[in-house]
Amino acid sequence: MAEPIYLAADARLPYCRGCGHALVVRQLSRALAGLNLPPRSIVLTTDIGCVGLADSLFPYLHTVHTTHGRSTAMATGMALAEVAAPAGGLKPIVMIGDGGATIGLLHLVHAAQLNVDITVLLHNNFLFGMTGGQHSALTPLGWVTSTTPARNSIPPLDLPALLRTAQAGFLARQFATDSNLDSVIAEAIAYPGFALVEIVEVCTGYGTLRNKASGNALREVVSRQGYSIGKMETGPPRSTFGEAYRQEVESHQARQATPPPPESEASRVSNFQFPVSSFQFPVSNSQFPVSNLQFPISNFQFPFSASQHSRKLHLVIAGTAGERVQSSAALLCRAALSAGLYSTQKNDNPVTQGSGFSLAEICLSPQPIQYTGVESADVVVAVSEDGWNELRANGMLAKVTPSTLLLVDAELESSIPAGRLFRLPFRREATPKRAALAAIAFWLGLEPVVPGTAWEGVLGSLPAERRPDVAEALRIGAKLAAQEGARAA
Amino acid sequence: MVAEGALASGCRFFAGYPITPASEIYEVMMRELVARGGLALSAPDEISSLCYCVGASLHGLKSMTATSGPGWALMSETVQYALMTETPVVIALVQRLGPSTGGATQGAQGDLLLAEFSTSGGYSIPVFAPSNAAECYELTQQAFYWSERLRTPVVLLSDKEVGMTTELVDDAALAKLPPFERTRVDVQASSAAYEIESAQEVPAFSPVGGSAKVTVTGSAHDRQGRLRKPSPEVVELLLHLQRKIEAHASEMAVVRRDLDPAASCLLISYGITARAAREAVGRLRQDGFPISFLQIQTLFPVPVEALREAAAGIRTIFVAEENLTGQYRSVLAPLLTGQRVLGINKLGGMISPAEIVRAVRRAGGTIPRADWPGARNAPGAVREAPGKAGA
Repeated sequence: MAEPIYLAADARLPYCRGCGHALVVRQLSRALAGLNLPPRSIVLTTDIGCVGLADSLFPYLHTVHTTHGRSTAMATGMALAEVAAPAGGLKPIVMIGDGGATIGLLHLVHAAQLNVDITVLLHNNFLFGMTGGQHSALTPLGWVTSTTPARNSIPPLDLPALLRTAQAGFLARQFATDSNLDSVIAEAIAYPGFALVEIVEVCTGYGTLRNKASGNALREVVSRQGYSIGKMETGPPRSTFGEAYRQEVESHQARQATPPPPESEASRVSNFQFPVSSFQFPVSNSQFPVSNLQFPISNFQFPFSASQHSRKLHLVIAGTAGERVQSSAALLCRAALSAGLYSTQKNDNPVTQGSGFSLAEICLSPQPIQYTGVESADVVVAVSEDGWNELRANGMLAKVTPSTLLLVDAELESSIPAGRLFRLPFRREATPKRAALAAIAFWLGLEPVVPGTAWEGVLGSLPAERRPDVAEALRIGAKLAAQEGARAA
Repeated sequence: MVAEGALASGCRFFAGYPITPASEIYEVMMRELVARGGLALSAPDEISSLCYCVGASLHGLKSMTATSGPGWALMSETVQYALMTETPVVIALVQRLGPSTGGATQGAQGDLLLAEFSTSGGYSIPVFAPSNAAECYELTQQAFYWSERLRTPVVLLSDKEVGMTTELVDDAALAKLPPFERTRVDVQASSAAYEIESAQEVPAFSPVGGSAKVTVTGSAHDRQGRLRKPSPEVVELLLHLQRKIEAHASEMAVVRRDLDPAASCLLISYGITARAAREAVGRLRQDGFPISFLQIQTLFPVPVEALREAAAGIRTIFVAEENLTGQYRSVLAPLLTGQRVLGINKLGGMISPAEIVRAVRRAGGTIPRADWPGARNAPGAVREAPGKAGA
């Protein structure tokens, strides 16, 4: 088989006379020849700038010419895909300048962190050549550029040093004129992970116009910055992204192959001593002694029963973050599902999720639910001061009508509007973390929209360690409802 | 359900960055994708997210990311790159209140025009808008299908209220779309990356890493994929980017019709507001007002045929959407000449069924045609495109 060809022999390099880019493309071609890599196993990913013209010079490699700064990220995407779906060892090589490197700095950092298998050739000519020689973040101190006519006073970025802190495994800085540049590039390409070679060169169009940067002067510029030359010390070898991914896949497969531990005798649902199967809310719709109640609203009508209610029901449950408000609401929705009802649940909390209020809005309906908002609230539950304050702040209390059922914790100090109000010691009786669910169970004691039996499936679906807690909260809520019923009678 | 729809479509690559209200999709993909033979990755920002997706798609993997308005703003550069290079990718854009950081946990339908008109040159991006969990599943499949079929970025335009509401879904009733696989060319002979048979059809796909040499560039290019200054060939390829979308507009059209032949007014809505609209239509009909309803799920390309069919014989058309200026109404109004097009708009919260009912009644849209106050004007003279009618 003929030796693979990389840079076309008759390639007319489009660079200015003396530009370092021309040296780099020839050295890259030599490096690829030395490695004898199949041309189709390389994707040359070029950035914007004069450096981006290189893709047209390598007619046998895959080439992807990207937007400015994104070459590293696109190359990373290709390398990641190669890990998930190998196409025979595709190797992205990124050709990028100082502008692309700073626009896409985070892409370089993340590629180094991931240790994804790409090689970056950073062409550092200390300024923006294609656009007229403007200052870049890599311009040395004291340089005159078209945008720093009074000499640059901003210290330049040492990219290899920066990438060392991102755990890059292969870092080098070379001059474009170095005779061993091809072997350093070859070593970088062969490195199985993220590798970057910063190639210091001159822009003959603009760099040498106002600054001493030819020949040995360029070496002086570099040493004045305190930059190291050649291969740099890096940390101990790390796994590549590919290795880490394969480990993840294997551990996933191992988890799937392992059967779940047998349920211990003690944690089985059937063995629970809680009134699970015989879970009865103490008052049924027909027997509830409506006429004897001392509620402020005389015509106390329970509009819903599990079998009958035909319209959408809106509940709002408010409490404090971390006190299982939203997860209790989710349990109610699951129980409603077992009872043949449609449900929707929307949650709200402050930006910081672990403090302040926690709120859940629920719709229950025997028909598919369209509008999920609350036009008027049927049931409002507030089990903490945080929750109540939020209901007031977010306008929910404006949606309370005379027929709204208000269930609030007895500890709340706020004044509550009169209405169909129940103040009960949910927090004290059930603990703050069970208060929301106890309040839900209390409501179901009054208005059995979801029958007790619907909770069996919910309990059964929970992890064994959560069941006692949930059953206890339901039991306390039902007990409070029974007491309330008895008192009213 | 967006994630489930993506997985059902054969999505094998996801890169994401957390943002409310799109983080759920990201989390589900991180949990599920490796188990299903793919790769999901946490990117350091939204620009990287979409670049990784585009890179993976160039390699041949069906790819998706999910974000909200602020992240979409960062992605627009790469969306254009995907469009120009004909790289399939799906972006789930779960809207929240804008502008800027806006309201992270507040729903809105304000990114419609931003999604559609985000390219320099105004090239069309297909946009699908689900109104509930089941539609998230179904339309994500549509998004993947058309993204792969037409080699283009496609937006699934959801919003906070659709994306962060838990609801019951009947798995058995979900529409399942057979996944589309790109036509691949792996042969050495084909080296023209953008060889098209007609402006309406897409070039066969060659993966980076395959045996056919691939040349990709975000610059204006010839059929070989080589950067070129505008020539007839280059301009033809630019036209092709638009023609391929337009040519398949009817096939892409997904709508839900609930038309009443006796109606003199039509309510149009999409996304979350379509749910309130459907409820409002029920209430109006219960009160004896005939009204037609059209839920548009393929927002772009605009399903013109379905729109004209629903609007035939109608005097007043309402477009209900949760944004300030009536973004979709501004798109539909020029297509509905001779008809009154009114907006029902709101900012800062979902439009309720009662608000829609009120707006429809106030505008007199359901009064029998002869008694309609606007009848004193010449037919077609009254067309209120901008401005607000209700809410």
